[in-house]
Amino acid sequence: MNNNTLILLAIFIPLLGSLILPLLGCISCRMRNLAALIMVLTSLVCATLMMPSVLAGEHSKITLIFPLGFNFVLVADMLSIFMAIVSSLTGAIIVFYSFDYISHYENQNEYYLMVVMFLGSMMGIIFSANLILLYVFWELTALTSWRLIGFFREKNHVLKADKSFLVTVFGAVVMLVGFVMIYQQTGSFDYDVIKEKLTATNPLSSIAVIFILFGILSKSATLPLHTWLPDAGVAPSPVTALLHAAVLVKIGVYVYARLFISTFTVDEVWHTIIPFIAAVSALVSAGAALIETDMKRIIAYSTVSQIAFIFLGLAVGGELAITGGLLYILMHGLAKGGLFLCAGIVEQNTKVKDITKLGGLIHTMPVTAISFLLCAFSVMGIPPFGGFFSKYMVITGAVGSGQLFIAFTFIFGAFLTLIYLFRLFTMIFMGEVKTPSKGENSPIMLTSVAMLAVLSLISGLYINYIAGPVQNTAQQMLGMIK
Amino acid sequence: MASLLVLIPLFAVIVMNLPLKGMRELSFPAALLLIIAQTGLAFMMPPSFWNMAPPSGIGSNFSLNFTVDALGVVMLISIGLVSFAAIISGWRTIGGTDQTQKADFASILLLCIAGMNGIVMVNDLFSLYVFLEIVAVASFVLISFHRDIWALEGAFKYIIMSAVATIMMLASIGLLLMLAGDTSFATVAAALKSSDRNFLMVLAVGLFTVGLFIKGGLVPFHGWLPDAYSTAPSGVSVLLAGIVTKTTGVYTLIRLVTSVFGFTESVMSILLAVGLISIVVGALAALGQKDFKRMLAYSSISQVGYIILGLGAGNAYGVMGAVFHLFNHSIFKSQLFINSAAVEEQTGTRDMDKLGGLGSKMPVTSTTSLIALLSTVGIPPFSGFWSKLIIIIALWQSANYFSALVAVVASVITLAYFLSMQRRVFFGKLRAGLENITEAKLGNLVPAIILALITIAVGVCFPYILEKFILPIKDIIPLVIKN
Repeated sequence: MNNNTLILLAIFIPLLGSLILPLLGCISCRMRNLAALIMVLTSLVCATLMMPSVLAGEHSKITLIFPLGFNFVLVADMLSIFMAIVSSLTGAIIVFYSFDYISHYENQNEYYLMVVMFLGSMMGIIFSANLILLYVFWELTALTSWRLIGFFREKNHVLKADKSFLVTVFGAVVMLVGFVMIYQQTGSFDYDVIKEKLTATNPLSSIAVIFILFGILSKSATLPLHTWLPDAGVAPSPVTALLHAAVLVKIGVYVYARLFISTFTVDEVWHTIIPFIAAVSALVSAGAALIETDMKRIIAYSTVSQIAFIFLGLAVGGELAITGGLLYILMHGLAKGGLFLCAGIVEQNTKVKDITKLGGLIHTMPVTAISFLLCAFSVMGIPPFGGFFSKYMVITGAVGSGQLFIAFTFIFGAFLTLIYLFRLFTMIFMGEVKTPSKGENSPIMLTSVAMLAVLSLISGLYINYIAGPVQNTAQQMLGMIK
Repeated sequence: MASLLVLIPLFAVIVMNLPLKGMRELSFPAALLLIIAQTGLAFMMPPSFWNMAPPSGIGSNFSLNFTVDALGVVMLISIGLVSFAAIISGWRTIGGTDQTQKADFASILLLCIAGMNGIVMVNDLFSLYVFLEIVAVASFVLISFHRDIWALEGAFKYIIMSAVATIMMLASIGLLLMLAGDTSFATVAAALKSSDRNFLMVLAVGLFTVGLFIKGGLVPFHGWLPDAYSTAPSGVSVLLAGIVTKTTGVYTLIRLVTSVFGFTESVMSILLAVGLISIVVGALAALGQKDFKRMLAYSSISQVGYIILGLGAGNAYGVMGAVFHLFNHSIFKSQLFINSAAVEEQTGTRDMDKLGGLGSKMPVTSTTSLIALLSTVGIPPFSGFWSKLIIIIALWQSANYFSALVAVVASVITLAYFLSMQRRVFFGKLRAGLENITEAKLGNLVPAIILALITIAVGVCFPYILEKFILPIKDIIPLVIKN
């Protein structure tokens, strides 16, 4: 199979396949669950199969010309392959985890439909090379996550789902205006044409930059548009893991990398402003994570804070920082996904989310506790976990670009991460037992979290094998290699 | 052939009312058949088909000067689709079990369709006026069809406002006839072009435009609209919201601005202002509604604002976007009115505070209404996204940055009120007392599903739709912007 077929399969098998899941669900639940997993794995396999040829320098592109410049253009390069592998890998583990988790609730058909469609649209975002096409997939992810957050149908949940939908759609439409401005300036929505038309002497107008950034920040839950993310924690646990850690917030980061680094030429000043926004976001949300008592909200705030590190890496520029930022996407996806899934297990076993009412669970739930700790180590950035290398590269890159003050702020942010994650761990798993738990009773969920924890560790131990291709990606994004 | 679109429905109305046995029972199916034929032919045949001379003997004796162009084709399809939805949804409920009443409904509906077809195809102001009146009178009767007190009030408001509009338009036609010597679009357009801002000319154009604003229910002339929409029988509110006001007010405005008045600075600024105010006022008013249908009515005002705003951009993109949005709006708004009718029929109330959690009891209604509202908001991949996108591109290209931003932000308000509707009616936990609710009857399900499929199909197959129906519209804009 050539790469063009693989791209189409990676997107449309989950995207269109999700539509038949409810029908399968009417026949047999097992079949539906298996089909959902296979669809997500298809994306992973397709992306992996494309890797060798893309690493060798092959550019695959599918182009269909439609009226008014709303073209259908898909591109596979290193960046898109990298993102596709990261998100479909975490996605597959999360789908596997939900086999057990979600089987206790109603509306399972809807759940699998939305999750698989979400991952399909994520693939669409990753491979599309036209702004309008990107926007279509972008809104599809907003739509599906809206239904997922409101999954439990409680009045409060539905309200919060509506809130997050409103915030992300607001960001998206503002971004759309930015896209229209680009169209005005360059006469096209295609990345290739835009890249040619925008030069150092004719950079993208600053207003368009602001509009597009607005959309990206709303999606990646960065200050000041972050409030929807902690609220979205009412969703079923695999969903929050999917939303927060693995995929949704990474959409914003990925689109930033794709547009602002690989495609647009923007004014120099943005390379100072964006790290600054990121720094504020990192500190404020770390502070919020320190005082919250709802465990899912703590992890959510931690996500907001960690996303800022990724932005820092991507925004200061330079090969090292960008490599670090991309690695961070992978490491954070694995580790934070693990944290959320562990929190899901704790919540399901004890029916409590408030950490002041929890404690001592390490005795009854040792596997969960250890997986949680390993994932937390990775997020904190303790060697030899994967998270250490990415954090190190991002901060070194920032120092290298001369932004010392920003770099110090982030080191402080990393220190806060250490504190709030240890606080979270101790409150839930150490001390005396306050709420009894039923003990570990779900092999599927435990396998998933253990897998994520082990992957976090392995990715650190074998960092050589991972950092090579990622560095290649960064070089390709910067135009250093074709 | 074009004149047949008016003559056949008229002829059918006469035949349906002959005092023959079994004729009454036949009138509904016959009307449905005519509607399907119109929709199918309009969709498949190019405009040139309609402009052929009719077969001798049938229509050739009536020398009506009708033409159909790309814009007309889109309108004929919309008229067909919405009437289809309206007649199916009204089939069981209108007139109860009284066959005479049902036959009357079918007759008046056909009259209304004949009038709208006429509006779409005419070439001179006076014939336009005649057809506008046919549609208006038919709709008064349709609104008050069940003769309940609120419907009579709604119809009465509509009559009064419509009469004011009529007087304005008639006065304007008189002035134009006096100044141009003729009422055909071409002559009046030429006279307007050469007149160089004669006061009477400006007055005539102004009067006509305001008359059309009233007909289209734009802010600040919208007072009659929520009452008329919400009190009419369910099938009728579908027709009224979906196509009647869109044809009589909005389409006519598009046609007159593009082929008669021209895009002068003053016309454009009025359109932009009225469009913006309608968008914002309609959306904000919809936020505060408790009654399902009234919310839809205000939402309708807001969406018509987008159409007018697109027209006000004054370039080819703007007109294309406006017409495309008009088509999309007629589909998704009819859909929502059908859903509201279904909910009202099953639960006996339109008060959204008394509803909740119907999604589990009425899954099809809930899903189709979700599709329609997402399309209204402009979420891809549904149809409404593409038309709104084109309108926003048009506004940006004509340097109306502020209007573009307001239009974009207003779509978030649109999302807000529709989410609140969906939350109060369909999502959430089932409200006590609604345990025995069942899914809507077939009469509401069938059109709802068809319209939802159209919304998705247009959204997904947008290249085909744009290429075949929307892009040709830019050829009908002969007048360039006067500076």
